[in-house]
Amino acid sequence: MTNACEHAVEYIYQYLDDEITFVHRSRIRWHLRNCNACCGAYEFETKLKAVVRERGRSEPSPELLTTLRALIEEERANSDDDVS
Amino acid sequence: MADQANFERDAMEYAPQLYSAALRMTRNPADAEDVVQETFLKAYRAYNTFQEGTNLKAWLYRILTNTYINKYRKQQRRPSEVELGELQDLYLYRRLGEEAGATHSAETEVLEQFVDVNIIEALESLPENFRMPVLLADVEDFSYKEIAEILDIPIGTVMSRLHRGRKALQRKLWNLAQERGIAGSAP
Repeated sequence: MTNACEHAVEYIYQYLDDEITFVHRSRIRWHLRNCNACCGAYEFETKLKAVVRERGRSEPSPELLTTLRALIEEERANSDDDVS
Repeated sequence: MADQANFERDAMEYAPQLYSAALRMTRNPADAEDVVQETFLKAYRAYNTFQEGTNLKAWLYRILTNTYINKYRKQQRRPSEVELGELQDLYLYRRLGEEAGATHSAETEVLEQFVDVNIIEALESLPENFRMPVLLADVEDFSYKEIAEILDIPIGTVMSRLHRGRKALQRKLWNLAQERGIAGSAP
């Protein structure tokens, strides 16, 4: 593990989250061209992030939206009563 | 300032996402529905204070998070930083790499075998301080700055919790992979 590898690992999340400065990004891009080990790690973390995004979500029951609309309607009617 | 009459038109599209996030927070569908309902009611009442053209999604998530915290976290205020311990960087990648005969592509292929319930179980296993940033970044796609605003913590704290939370998520996925036989034979 070289200094460049350590740098790449340290900044991996900032790189993948697109929250990294230009200087760090350039250094990592350059390093990834020359290091298979770090390329493998970056590819893996990219894929893991995509899998979490894709499979970490749940859908609500269809009734939830109906309930929310009714709730807001009721609230609106109540506040209209207050005004009149 | 936003017009209350437009609230449904503007906010309803975020309801499914807000529900999903609420479910990861409460880990229980009935509680998640309660939190989302309360969030929508509060958001509707406060909608005339929302600055139109600013980030509505983040504004709604902030109300959601506060609603959840006020409702469910009163009794357990202790910080959970200590619960994770120190974990190696690239935790899951390195564990998979230690498996006999694993190549780089094999490690990535293992990820394909995690199904929704595995990912959800791993997310919900995280201590709350770490679960929230990971959820907001990795599932809900918020920036560090937005997460800092939603959770009302400094950006540096967002980054360190995200870093440690992701490692803990990877440890849980590794444990699940071994229990379910996803990563081949356990050592």
